[in-house]
Amino acid sequence: MDSKLKRIYVPMTESGFYILFCLHEPQHGYGISQQVRHMTNGELIISAGTMYGTLSKMEKDGLISFVKETEKRKLYQITATGKEILELELHRIERLYKNSKGEIIHE
Amino acid sequence: MNKTMIRFFTIFDYEEEENWLREQHKKGWKLIKMKLCFYVFEKCTLEDVIYRLDYKNNTENSSYYQMFQDYGWEYISQWFGWLYFRKPLANAEQDTEIFSDNISRLDMLRHIYMTRMLPLLIIFLCCVLPNFFIFLKPEHPYDMILTVMFSVLLLLYIGLLTYCGIKLQKLRKKYRKD
Repeated sequence: MDSKLKRIYVPMTESGFYILFCLHEPQHGYGISQQVRHMTNGELIISAGTMYGTLSKMEKDGLISFVKETEKRKLYQITATGKEILELELHRIERLYKNSKGEIIHE
Repeated sequence: MNKTMIRFFTIFDYEEEENWLREQHKKGWKLIKMKLCFYVFEKCTLEDVIYRLDYKNNTENSSYYQMFQDYGWEYISQWFGWLYFRKPLANAEQDTEIFSDNISRLDMLRHIYMTRMLPLLIIFLCCVLPNFFIFLKPEHPYDMILTVMFSVLLLLYIGLLTYCGIKLQKLRKKYRKD
């Protein structure tokens, strides 16, 4: 994977993380925001402009790809590169969590 | 009934513009369209409605409007790369912003700077300023009038650029802080 992508996306913003995570299934912008609202019990709200900007950027960087358009809504899905990035980010979060509980990582 | 109001906001005064439009709506005037510094309003019932401006400069695609509509934003008008949206506060469900993080706010600032302010700066340094120095050596007495006119324009230009520069720094600081 491109080390430039790694530098940009790891660590990721909270919105970026949830958007990428939700795109394991094809979904459009507003659908993602509703899903995130539900998952986080309304604690994380991703607004329209942020959603649109993040999706455009992630598509340009090849983390997600356009699937199809239904009723003027663009559906996206995560790509192999996107999954790799998400995996790296998950690993990082896991380490943070374990360390915060006093665990030491042995690889 | 319609009315037109004249207001001047610079490229970095969009937050003031949003607040001003919200105030107008509270007084019963809703925005229909805007061009340059002319705002056309229509009489409406008094309501607290949030106005938001997005700067896309024609980079938006067809799904952009649908997404904003899904989020409950009513598209009003656009001018020179700026898009105007509104949403009644009553159905906002805590989502009163079009940007939910400062990274996207800073992205918009950068976009405005690169496509609006930077060209003005380049024109200023490469055309306005060199031309001014040519005018400074008047050959006919009547060139003096032109020199005076040019000086006034130059001062206006410098004033506007300085104001925009200070405002840009203020916004950057604000978005980086919280």
